[in-house]
Amino acid sequence: MSVRTLRACMVCSVVQPATKFTREGCPNCEEFLELRGSQDAISDCTSSVFEGLITMADPGLSWVAKWQRLQGYVPGTYAVKVVGVLPEDYIAAAENAGIKYIPRDGSGTADEQ
Amino acid sequence: MASFLDQDFPDEEEDDFNPVQEVGSDDEGDEKPAADEDAKVDELPTRSERSRSRPQRDEDDDDAKDELGTDGVVGFGRDEDAEGEGRNVDDEDDEEEEDDEEEDEEDDLEGQPSRKRRKQHGRNQFIDVEAEVDEEDEEEPEEDDDQPGEEMHPDDLQELPPGADRDDRKHRELDRQREAQFQMDVEEEAARLKERYGRQSRATGGGSAIVPQRLLLPTTDDPRIFRMKCRPGKEKEVIISIQARVKERAGSREPVHIFSAFERAKPGSPMSGMLYVEASRVEDVLAACEGITHVFMGTKPLMVPLEEMPDLLKVTKEKQLEPGMYVRIRRGLYSGDLAAVYEVEANGTEVTLRIVPRLDYGLNEDVNGPMDAANGPKRKRPLVQRPPARLFSETEAKKRHGKYLSKQGGLSGSNWTYQNKEYVDGFLMDQYKLNALQTDDVNPTLEEVTKFATSSTDDGAENLDLAALAATLKTSTANEFLPGDKVEVFRGEQKGVTGHSVQVYGDVVKVKVDPGNGALSGQHLEAPIRDLRKLFREGDHVKVIGGSKYTDEVGMVVRTKDDRVTLLTDSNQTEITVFSKDLREATDSGGAAADSKFDLFDLVQLDAATVGCVIKVDRESLRILDQNSSVRAMLPSNISNKIEKRHNAVATDRDGNEMKLDDTIKEYSGEQKSGRVLHLHRNFVFAQTRERAENAGVWVGRHPNVQVLAAKGGKAGSGGVDLTKMNPALKQNGASPSPMPPPQAKGRDRLIGKTVKIRTGPNKGMIGIVKDATPEEAKVELHAKNKILTLKKEMLSLIDPQTGNAIAGGIQSLAMGRPPPAGAGRTPAYAGGSGGRTPSYAMQSGGRTPAYAAGGGGRTPAWKQDAGARTPAYGGGTSYGGGGLGGQTAYGGATSYGGATSYGGGSVWGGGAAGGGSGGQSTWNPNMGGRTPAPSGSKTPAYGGMEAPTPGFNSAPTPGSYQDQPTPGGFRDQPTPGGFRGGNQTPGSYQTPGGFPETPGPYSAETPGGDDGPRYD
Repeated sequence: MSVRTLRACMVCSVVQPATKFTREGCPNCEEFLELRGSQDAISDCTSSVFEGLITMADPGLSWVAKWQRLQGYVPGTYAVKVVGVLPEDYIAAAENAGIKYIPRDGSGTADEQ
Repeated sequence: MASFLDQDFPDEEEDDFNPVQEVGSDDEGDEKPAADEDAKVDELPTRSERSRSRPQRDEDDDDAKDELGTDGVVGFGRDEDAEGEGRNVDDEDDEEEEDDEEEDEEDDLEGQPSRKRRKQHGRNQFIDVEAEVDEEDEEEPEEDDDQPGEEMHPDDLQELPPGADRDDRKHRELDRQREAQFQMDVEEEAARLKERYGRQSRATGGGSAIVPQRLLLPTTDDPRIFRMKCRPGKEKEVIISIQARVKERAGSREPVHIFSAFERAKPGSPMSGMLYVEASRVEDVLAACEGITHVFMGTKPLMVPLEEMPDLLKVTKEKQLEPGMYVRIRRGLYSGDLAAVYEVEANGTEVTLRIVPRLDYGLNEDVNGPMDAANGPKRKRPLVQRPPARLFSETEAKKRHGKYLSKQGGLSGSNWTYQNKEYVDGFLMDQYKLNALQTDDVNPTLEEVTKFATSSTDDGAENLDLAALAATLKTSTANEFLPGDKVEVFRGEQKGVTGHSVQVYGDVVKVKVDPGNGALSGQHLEAPIRDLRKLFREGDHVKVIGGSKYTDEVGMVVRTKDDRVTLLTDSNQTEITVFSKDLREATDSGGAAADSKFDLFDLVQLDAATVGCVIKVDRESLRILDQNSSVRAMLPSNISNKIEKRHNAVATDRDGNEMKLDDTIKEYSGEQKSGRVLHLHRNFVFAQTRERAENAGVWVGRHPNVQVLAAKGGKAGSGGVDLTKMNPALKQNGASPSPMPPPQAKGRDRLIGKTVKIRTGPNKGMIGIVKDATPEEAKVELHAKNKILTLKKEMLSLIDPQTGNAIAGGIQSLAMGRPPPAGAGRTPAYAGGSGGRTPSYAMQSGGRTPAYAAGGGGRTPAWKQDAGARTPAYGGGTSYGGGGLGGQTAYGGATSYGGATSYGGGSVWGGGAAGGGSGGQSTWNPNMGGRTPAPSGSKTPAYGGMEAPTPGFNSAPTPGSYQDQPTPGGFRDQPTPGGFRGGNQTPGSYQTPGGFPETPGPYSAETPGGDDGPRYD
């Protein structure tokens, strides 16, 4: 996994090489983002600009997972911060799937401070 | 700490129980306080059942736990979140009500008795739900039916039959049932919800997203985070390695017992080199990191305190970039440069920037270098100075790189593509990724910003917006305020309040409010820096303290508008506008000296091929006279570097004279400006004169177009370059024979006193006498007019004063011919004085001397023997000696004359003495040697040298060579100069001494004297 080609999903923050997104889609959000095989969707919904790399071994019990809202996701590599704005229609798709999209670029926490 | 950990483990297993238990017991408490204690005993089996059923609902559990955790935190007293929490509860309630309705319908369909429901409605909602779940399940309803007392229990105890035996047991059973029911109910509910919103619970976005993050703060039950150190820059690799290890060992016997690991490294951030591992025990951390490259196992894991854990994952939103904002580029050619955001990509990760390009248009390109295509990516970028930032110029690009340049369609006509980059209005438009940019602390200076403002005048919206710039700058004004500053609150509740700052700490300024602010007057007020600005009034004397190109300028405030202050500078009476934050009250006056890094008269490099001389230093700009004599105004940042003065620079002027710094020179043509040399660079000379005001007196010329008037040290301009010192060939040769100075360096020019004829020019044909001469020129006193002309020697020809005939090769031979031809021949003769040949000459002469002596004394054989024996080269001489001398007894008689001249004879005898060539001489030796040892001794070698040199003979054949004469003269030992004159012209006359006297030429007589004198001294 070379560091350069990595991209992070803007919804769940999972970090994978772009090729893996193309091949397998996002392990957590595939149902509504439908990234597999779609370069456009991948460039819209994933970002190459992210910070902080987390390897999540046990999302169920990890506090980091809780804090990062990664509980229920598959173990794997995640980003702490994903910069980028998810296009509206994908946000709608996420909402329809019952998922509240929280931007992972820090805008949520900035409000609290 | 370890004890914490140890406690954690058992707790986690119990986690499964706790949530449900708590919920249950709470609710129960409300419902049936009396039965609670009794029921507890019976609860246990039920629970174990439940816990068995747990594993299938893992995720469900997690959700439940989340919510539980939330509740728990709220319970701890974080009531500020009551609102959010309330919302959650409401949501749940709504959902349940919906459920109820649905189930009601079901009920109706099934035709269940409505009695229950009615009863339930009177109760808590939970009971309602309970009842409905009841009906869904197959088994439990039956049980319920078996227990008729269930519904009656709380309210209708009195309705029970009086059978006491049944009462207590029934009660307990009822409690148990109820409890079980309730638990089932909760789980059922969750299961149902999960079924309905399955996807939601899986992708946690739904459940926990609504929970504010502050409610997720770590508790002691959570795993701890340990800090490890690793090699900075390798954090991501380490994380990936750990990931691989976790995966690899997942199914093995010793899985990695960590929950997660993360890094937050950013270049330059304090988090670089840090690695955080979430685990329960230190050992697990070590096990996870052991053997992973770049992890520094030497440093022990450090447990991060609970309260600091959230900070590790703190995410701050980066400034949202918008078109028009300024950023700095982190890497590459433009690193550190300011750029304006032109466009932001939809997903916000890529931006198009407007950059002031740094191009050299191929000037520094290595033409001979390998082609780009051949090894493009590998080619090392030579570490040349990066070109100055200047707007794109297509004319410059066309000069060398026309092939890379193409014009883009467009009405404005200023869109170009050059080397695959797009240039619009002179700016480079380039795409950058967000992480290659610095968006915080950009701090653009006005100087930088003005560059972007200049060419966008056609687009009104993009004009320099000082207000926007102020906003950009506003963020980074930490030490802007000092105690004592006059400040004004310009927003917020206290807007308009003025005062003096008393204390500044962090981002807060304590302000003593000025009188005249109503109730606040005289009070102390604390205001955040961002609500404050410095206050200046018209007439205040202020100093610019930073942030703009006017730093250190001092002036008087003439106008203030918001936080922009216009002041009239003291130094040059111009109005400048700066932000109030950049000003301070000043007590001193007068602008500080511009501390430009360039000084007046500095030589600077403008681009690869152009240099210039600074002729004026302004605060922010320089006026520069470039090598093409054009004057430019430039910003210091546009100048690539300063060229240090080379103090030993030497150039040659038009006449080939050397020209050094500080020499006075004069333009040969044009205005004939004169001046002192400031710089010599390549083919250009920069000179400065005080007589001219224009360009600070600086002018530029080319070397071939100037003449040196006076050298700095008073060294004669006419001296020229001493070529002999420079010519390595001469040096080499000169080394072995002798470093003797060239002959012409001594004495007067031999042309002086000669009669010459002017060959060309206005005075052509006139005859005169050379009065004075330099190597090039001669002053000629004309015969016809009483006038002295300075003429070049080429223009003269030497004539015979008597006949008026030109003397062949006259001047040339006098002036310059003299050293070379004969000189070459003669040099050995001179060298003879000191060189290795001297002895041999001396020998020869010594040997020969007897010959003369022999001539006189009849000792010829001896001489012959000597000559023959010693110098084969002299062999010619020998024959001559044999023939000529043999017949020359008379001539030998002349030797007696030589003998008479004490020194001629001395030479003979000295030589003889030295050589000791013949026994016959020895008889002489005592006499002569005894008589004049010193003089002869001293002179003999010289004479010997003169005589011996075959050059004498050699030169003899070259007729007309004026210089030959000395040699033969010497050879002949003076006594026969006259004879030799003739001999020179007719070599044959050697043998015919009789011819000698006939050609005594006036100067043949004089020459030897004149020549020999200098030469032999």
